[in-house]
Amino acid sequence: MTTTPTQAKPPPPPITITKTGEPSTLDVSVGPQHPGSGHFRMLIRVDGDYIKSVDADIGYVHRGCEKIAEYRNYVSNIPHLERPCIIDAIHLNWGYVLPVEELQGVEVPPRGQYISTIAAEMNRIMSHLYWLAINAGVFSGHTTIFMWAFGDRDLFIELAEMLTGARLTYSFIPPGGPRRDLPLGFEDKLTKLLDYFEKRLVEYDRIFFSNPLVIARAKGIGVLKREEAIKLGVAGPVLRGSGVKYDVRKVEPYGAYADLDFEIPTYEEGDSYARFLVRFEEMKQSVRILRQALEKIPKGPIARKAPLVAPEGEATGRVESSRGEYAVMVMGDNSDKPYRVKIMNASFRNLIALPYLIRNVHVADMPIIYGSLDYWPVEADR
Amino acid sequence: MAQVVLSREEGIINQLKSRFPDVIKEVKVDRARRVTITFDKDHIQELAKFMRDEAGFDHVIGIAGIDYPTHKKIEVLYFAASFSKPDIQDIVVILKTELPRDNASIASVVSIWESAHFHERETFEMFGVKFEGHPDLRKLLTLDNWDGPPPMLKDIKFPEMGQR
Repeated sequence: MTTTPTQAKPPPPPITITKTGEPSTLDVSVGPQHPGSGHFRMLIRVDGDYIKSVDADIGYVHRGCEKIAEYRNYVSNIPHLERPCIIDAIHLNWGYVLPVEELQGVEVPPRGQYISTIAAEMNRIMSHLYWLAINAGVFSGHTTIFMWAFGDRDLFIELAEMLTGARLTYSFIPPGGPRRDLPLGFEDKLTKLLDYFEKRLVEYDRIFFSNPLVIARAKGIGVLKREEAIKLGVAGPVLRGSGVKYDVRKVEPYGAYADLDFEIPTYEEGDSYARFLVRFEEMKQSVRILRQALEKIPKGPIARKAPLVAPEGEATGRVESSRGEYAVMVMGDNSDKPYRVKIMNASFRNLIALPYLIRNVHVADMPIIYGSLDYWPVEADR
Repeated sequence: MAQVVLSREEGIINQLKSRFPDVIKEVKVDRARRVTITFDKDHIQELAKFMRDEAGFDHVIGIAGIDYPTHKKIEVLYFAASFSKPDIQDIVVILKTELPRDNASIASVVSIWESAHFHERETFEMFGVKFEGHPDLRKLLTLDNWDGPPPMLKDIKFPEMGQR
């Protein structure tokens, strides 16, 4: 049986918030627009200047990644499975490859693990800089940090291009290990960049994170309490901003993280400002990880040959992506294509926090709260 | 490789087996930190409540459907994990159950694990699994003009994507 979506159909009835409101309220559709990270719509119910409730309407960028994955072989799946969050491509790539390697019984050599870790931490800094520029900077009306963070992000992108050959979508880690060894002169360039970036972080703090205007806009806004965060199962900086010390790099170390010394920044407040600070501190920790990794990286082979076929069985692997825990279940059936790939990402999990946070707040606070979640619609829709 | 100690994983299994001797059909420790438990679908809510309140698995990472057209069944997998108990934070328990393909329905666990809300909606849309008692079981991801059957079922094929 073959079914394709019907082309010509009458337009669907407008989606409304299911429960009818008070006479004084007004339903407003925010979007479907591109608020800095992908198409997405929120249906908000306002009473004067206050948002009473919000209903997230997602799916505008749904691509059927999980269905496509059943048609492609294990290696061809990498490029399209990293596309949902192009600014965080290494983590999406690695999260998918870990369970495939587990099914195939392939072990990556230590040098390969270190190179993947270096690429991943560079990617975390790039992703957090994107967030700082757009989701924190632009949404709070701070154009200087937008220019600064975006400019500095490009320096990391150039180094990533030197390492992987691509600026954003790297497809760098196939099963068995990364595609390339560190190029000549990479260590020096990265060390220089980290020296520069550490100085910049101090300036970021002065112009943005310690800025009284930013603090006034973000502090105490959109509070997610610790118990709520646990109950809702949110992930990543949203979780750690609510005081839960949980990071896959620590609880279930993969790559080279078991050998490296770093901390998990957490804040108890649970407000938008706490989530801002978690990402700021994570960038500092990423610098620390990168320095150690460059120092400790062993010599030897970077990758092993992996079979094209995976045996029958299921495996679940997870990594800590920039937005939080990224878990993938891969099911093999003795062929070169997976029988089922299930992607469980942080954006889709953090979506449930939106109605909790955007409730009884000013309309003007909505962008700050949305920005503090670092929600990526394309990753959530897959 | 060194021998891996699986005492925590086996502890969870023993706890579940002694509490639900008739409900648990099969248990498997896939590897360290991964436990798969196959159970009878009628008892999902009791099992979820036990997992949350006594075993400490306070949230679900995701819910996956798997379609088996030849066996005429749909499997539903709940990936449960823990934030609040540091000693089991690294374990993912996969609760697995089978539903008949022509009438796939199971009780919702949203009242127990609120984190399952959007995952159940997604599985409803993609596999047609009805989660009874879900507060808001609507379409989530597909286009408004998609009027075909649930797209993740294996007999929905997209020939333009290649051969499967």
